[in-house]
Amino acid sequence: MCLNHNELAQNPSHFEDSEEANQAPAHRDIAWNDYKDLIKGMRFFDPHIHMVSRTTDDYQAMNQAGIVALIEPAFWVGQPRTGLSTFKDYYSSLVGWERFRSSQFGIKHYCTMGLNSREANNEPLAEQVMEILPLYIYKEGVVGVGEIGFDDQTPAEEKYYRLQLELAKEAKLPVQIHTPHRDKKKGTERSMAIALEHGIDPSWVIVDHNNEETVKSVLDQGFYAAFTIYPFTKMGNERMVKVVEQYGPERIMINSAADWGISDPLAIPKTAALMKMRGIPDETIRLVTYQNAIDAFGQSGQIDVTDFESGYAVDQTEKFHGNSILRGGQQPAPVKDFLVIN
Amino acid sequence: MSDIIKQKIWDIIASNTSAAEAGWLQQKVALAPGAVAPIELMTAFVAASRFLSKKIITTSEAEKAALNLEIPGFSVDGWSLVRLGRVWLLTQLDPSDKEEYVKNIETLFDTAEMNELVALYSALPLLSYPDQWLFRATDAVRSNMGFVFDAIALHNPYPEKHFSELAWNQLVLKTIFNDKPIHLIEGLENRTNEKLAVTLSDFAHERWAAGRSVPAQVWRLTGKYLNSALLADMQHLFDSDQEDDRKAAALACGDASLPAANYLLAKYTDLEKSVKSGALTWADLEH
Repeated sequence: MCLNHNELAQNPSHFEDSEEANQAPAHRDIAWNDYKDLIKGMRFFDPHIHMVSRTTDDYQAMNQAGIVALIEPAFWVGQPRTGLSTFKDYYSSLVGWERFRSSQFGIKHYCTMGLNSREANNEPLAEQVMEILPLYIYKEGVVGVGEIGFDDQTPAEEKYYRLQLELAKEAKLPVQIHTPHRDKKKGTERSMAIALEHGIDPSWVIVDHNNEETVKSVLDQGFYAAFTIYPFTKMGNERMVKVVEQYGPERIMINSAADWGISDPLAIPKTAALMKMRGIPDETIRLVTYQNAIDAFGQSGQIDVTDFESGYAVDQTEKFHGNSILRGGQQPAPVKDFLVIN
Repeated sequence: MSDIIKQKIWDIIASNTSAAEAGWLQQKVALAPGAVAPIELMTAFVAASRFLSKKIITTSEAEKAALNLEIPGFSVDGWSLVRLGRVWLLTQLDPSDKEEYVKNIETLFDTAEMNELVALYSALPLLSYPDQWLFRATDAVRSNMGFVFDAIALHNPYPEKHFSELAWNQLVLKTIFNDKPIHLIEGLENRTNEKLAVTLSDFAHERWAAGRSVPAQVWRLTGKYLNSALLADMQHLFDSDQEDDRKAAALACGDASLPAANYLLAKYTDLEKSVKSGALTWADLEH
């Protein structure tokens, strides 16, 4: 399998003379066994992923692929919530059970807390959420206020976006901005303008879900530009490689935003492998898949890299509130070496 | 709650904090009492881990005695500064409007992560309207919450004062079940009861049937309530190859007024002598 597309292109073998054969595999064509050697020894930080929607298999695969830490932003769970209690339970799970579950698969879990833009449109409920939000944003391991910003770009969304920017300012926390799927360019510009209007230092703001149309303005204004490698709807990772080739690694970070949709929790390692194939330097890959996210969200004072930089120790016999991830009678991993599975 | 206890807790905080940490706490309650918006104190309660060290505090014997004098059984031994700071912040909430006060504490419970829950349960003996927290306190026992369980069960005088007999017995049994030391339960001796003793016997039988053991010191809960069934348990213990079991049987029989228990004990001359002379006490079995 071709390890370096550029090298091959310069020196094709007899068997690889067609244009098609010279193409590096696309995101969806490369399997773990094909790319694991390319990213061997690399470690990754996914600054945006919704693990509450993901399975144990995902955690195991992420850990195997070198993801040592992640950030789970508070978001929309897919259907409208009927009351404050479900918000409380959801927020509590982000700092509680989900963080514990993640630790059991060797991945350090952080989160950002916020009222999602889509949910800002239910104003009576939004008001109640805003009352309890301060009790969550100061919790340990909360590395930012997010993901907030615009969805439909309604006045209610703007109102709660502004209120949450003020909360972030007071709590001295970075802000993670969700940019809208529709009318993205305008929504992104508006989000940044409002953040600046509130006197927030752009280097404390991570603008998410960028694309080729938005990246220049975001970087030029001093914000962090995050890219979501999400099949079909957001960035593809071949496009991502080109963005990095064009703009370099400064203030750029990559995430998967994997959630309940058709998404890929291995988007970062896969993109790293693709970057490696395309000859992007290791240090650039390290910055956009690991370090920049830590620099940006680490401004919260809540990220201690010694917790994960040398791997993350797992003890699956540990318990959370007396509960283990292990279902009745299961043995802690690893069990693969044994013939008899108890 | 008395201002004295607030002051005594503050004294301990003051001797365990840096100037910056003490300054942060004071700033949170700097305004006149009652003038601080509750949400400010509640937010400070949450944020404490960002501004205070997690180191374990030290307390002098005099400070320990002073706390105990105000609220018997209340202890901050082994607490982190964050935990103590949080408990102190809770004492600053103005209790004059009961509805508001209860709502605020309930909100803190509802939104708490594990370390915050530990602080909340630790603070129960200091909160106003103690009956309001009964559900929370018994729930903490029921839900088997690691550190949180310890915060309500061990070194906490709230259960002794406020738990019903049923809830109290659950707490003691759960402590045994979790292999935690029951002698750290405040008021253990004061609240022994017959139902607990009988249940303990059933529990021990289950354990023995499964080939497991029962910590010897739990039999201290049975002495006063020995009956024929429990007496058979005592014989089982005297026959044990574990020295602690034999000692426990001797001590329990020594506590009993039942004549048959005294006869049984008399069969084991050396043990009887140790118990009657006071050379052997339950404290010897507190592991």
